[in-house]
Amino acid sequence: MGTTERTTRLKNRCRFKHVAGGEYVDAGVKAGVERARLITQSHKENIGEPNCVIRAKGLENILSNITVHIQDDELIVGANTEHPDYFPMYPELSYFATLDMVESQYCDHKDEMREITEYWKPYTIQTKGEKYFTPEEIGIMYSATTIQPPMFVTAFSSIVPTYESVLEDGLLKRIEEVEKNIANANASLRKSPWNAQENLHYLDKLDQWKAMVIAMKAVVGWAQRHARLAKIMAENFLTDAKRKEELLEISDICRNVPANPARGLRDAMQSKWFTYLLCHSIERYSSGYGQKEDKLLWPYFQKSVIEKSDQPMSREEAVELFECERLKVSEHGSTKGRQLREFFAGSNDLFILTLGGINPDGSDASNDCTNAILEATESIITTEPSISFRWNEIGNTETKQKVFNCIKKGFGFPSIKNDEMNTQQLIKYFNVPEEVARDWALVLCMSPGITGRRGTQKTRSEGGSDVYPAKVLEIALTDGFDEFFSNIQLGPKTGDGAEFKSFEDVWNALKLQLRFAIELGLRSKDVGRIMESTHLSCPFISSIDDGCVEKGMDANALAEVPNPWHNIIGGSVVVIDSMTAIKQLVFDEKKYTMAQLVEALRNNWEGKEEMRIDFWNAPKFGNDDAYADAVATKYYDLIADEWKRNTTYSGTYPLPLAQSVAGYIVNGPKTAATANGRHAGEALDDGGSSPYMGCDKNGPTAVLKSASKINASKYKGILLNQRLSTVLMNSDAGFDLWHAYMKTWHSLDIDHVQFNVISQEDMKAAQIEPEKYTDTLVRIAGYSAKFIDLARYSQDTIIARTEQDMASGS
Amino acid sequence: MSKCEKCAFFFPIPEGDMDFEPGKGDCVRQQEDTKGKFWLSRPVFENSDACEHHRTQIN
Repeated sequence: MGTTERTTRLKNRCRFKHVAGGEYVDAGVKAGVERARLITQSHKENIGEPNCVIRAKGLENILSNITVHIQDDELIVGANTEHPDYFPMYPELSYFATLDMVESQYCDHKDEMREITEYWKPYTIQTKGEKYFTPEEIGIMYSATTIQPPMFVTAFSSIVPTYESVLEDGLLKRIEEVEKNIANANASLRKSPWNAQENLHYLDKLDQWKAMVIAMKAVVGWAQRHARLAKIMAENFLTDAKRKEELLEISDICRNVPANPARGLRDAMQSKWFTYLLCHSIERYSSGYGQKEDKLLWPYFQKSVIEKSDQPMSREEAVELFECERLKVSEHGSTKGRQLREFFAGSNDLFILTLGGINPDGSDASNDCTNAILEATESIITTEPSISFRWNEIGNTETKQKVFNCIKKGFGFPSIKNDEMNTQQLIKYFNVPEEVARDWALVLCMSPGITGRRGTQKTRSEGGSDVYPAKVLEIALTDGFDEFFSNIQLGPKTGDGAEFKSFEDVWNALKLQLRFAIELGLRSKDVGRIMESTHLSCPFISSIDDGCVEKGMDANALAEVPNPWHNIIGGSVVVIDSMTAIKQLVFDEKKYTMAQLVEALRNNWEGKEEMRIDFWNAPKFGNDDAYADAVATKYYDLIADEWKRNTTYSGTYPLPLAQSVAGYIVNGPKTAATANGRHAGEALDDGGSSPYMGCDKNGPTAVLKSASKINASKYKGILLNQRLSTVLMNSDAGFDLWHAYMKTWHSLDIDHVQFNVISQEDMKAAQIEPEKYTDTLVRIAGYSAKFIDLARYSQDTIIARTEQDMASGS
Repeated sequence: MSKCEKCAFFFPIPEGDMDFEPGKGDCVRQQEDTKGKFWLSRPVFENSDACEHHRTQIN
């Protein structure tokens, strides 16, 4: 329930766009065609212009002509498509992803969209990127077995928009600045005597700046279209005096922002939403909701709610506005190919905002805006946007209590990140000044990146993409060949596991297979980066970054603050537990041979149940067991070292990030039986340091101690999922117990933790009577989902997680 | 044939707006489905042929 009648109504009629099993849950969800139609029309008319100008004119054509809409009761307006039930399509990105959608049940304009898809085929970044890879490499990448398919075919990206520059400056001021740069460049080009070295670089910059001006003017015009629509509705269609007044205020807001600086909280929220739509789903598609929201909105919250000097509003109205924001995000539709729709089981897309931490001056950054956002989150109950809370020693207890309130209700968020560790990492690895590093937010699920007016991450080719380690270990035992799923050679020939004579032989094969997968993945990202810079300019995104404006560069090309990272998705603990079992049972105790093991895995343990039980009962990570944890430490050091060998587009080596999204579910069926006693096809582990389902038997402190043995500072993040007792969390002592647990977690230098607080009984009841559990949320990995939207297989993986009793003291 | 100019749902774009062009206007229509009411706006020109939703202005 919302805190007001409005938000309760909005939630009841919310046009959710969640997917389950790769399909949209709500029957009315459709693929919109207007964006694809308009960008195609513009492309045909402007071929021959520089790419940035073509892209700017494409955006201009979309924003000037796409149908805009406002729904009843809305306080925040604007969407990415022509109808509130639709999601947009991006034919300029990936041929495969577009074709998949066009041929699906969601596209009602098949003939037109087939023609558009074919038109774009030679221009897509997929076609441009593929030619730099051999057919064998393409086969490996597109099989999605050891690595994620490249961004030029998934069309998947992520971004942290430079919201601050829009909210603080307004676009009209920025247009003036860019026009000054154009005038200065033109003057320099005409100076006497002619100096080529000093002036020729201006040619590309002039194109970039010209494109930025076209894009920003188009955005101001698009906001004005919303202003006119709200006014026309108030004056011609509605009779309710209160709603008419609201619409006239919305009209006034859309006249003011993003053209001008935000005056108060309503302006700031609307300006932020317009900017979000443009950067994440109109200029191009990018996942995420990366922002430090309580820092970004705090000046406007102060003006409107505390000082009441601009756009005055009560605190209750502010909470209502944050509830409206959550519902707006819940309605936002994204287009993804099937692999990614399956990867985000039960979700719409990945939307994660960041709260808490400290300010640039070192003071506590949690404020009353933080609290209002958390209160709205607690009341409205939506899976999106997810929240990450930066846990700092000095953070105030009132805000931490509100974080706890959301967690104990079972939302699965806020997830918690170690503030000091993540801040230091940006300083140490990426040379970010400390005061800038202190304003970090998660780029997507778990990776920190800077926020602010310049230098934020603009594309997933900087950070993102995946290696799938359990599959890598599988092929390390089969000479690099995938016998189980794709039937192709996925990696180098590193020998038949049956012939391995020592644990080091196994380890070396794993290392070489990982190396191949990592390098292919990184190369595909960097090739994609060049394709983005050359063929997919983003003039609006560039126009709101101070660095891009100053340097006349496209946002895809400029890596002002490097932030390279690369995921190791689901399966790390399966690898650790498998290697532990191999070490103990084959090489230390010599109870089995490698030949016996490889044969048993090939046959999915058939006829070898006793042997499987032996491997299942070998020491497991997550129990503070020195034998297993030593393997974990060795594995994670290997991963960090292997990543460190490489240098990416932005000039430094990437840091790994161990997590799973729903990869542990999706990749399980592609992975043969593993030496931890797991059968073929079963789910993998649900994150970087989450013990395998049901294998952590020594209590929550033992899990933390195992996790603490991994040097998390070498990583962008290492995910830890924990299930906590609902009874305990809801008891009078709940907060104190959890707070004490969190202090232990923090003192052990662990990077991350997130919680499921839902009883076994409720989950089983929801499987039988789902209609009674429509607001039951669970944490998957980097995001939360409605339990009833998950496939039975996925639901069972949550049920199988060990429920920890924090009061046990162990 | 009727033209958009004469339609009750045609609203001329004010001079000074970024997308102003002579004769250009917003076609604004109300829709309602099981999830509620919403209003759509798309650009049209006054001399465009009327569409199936055309409603002649009464004034």
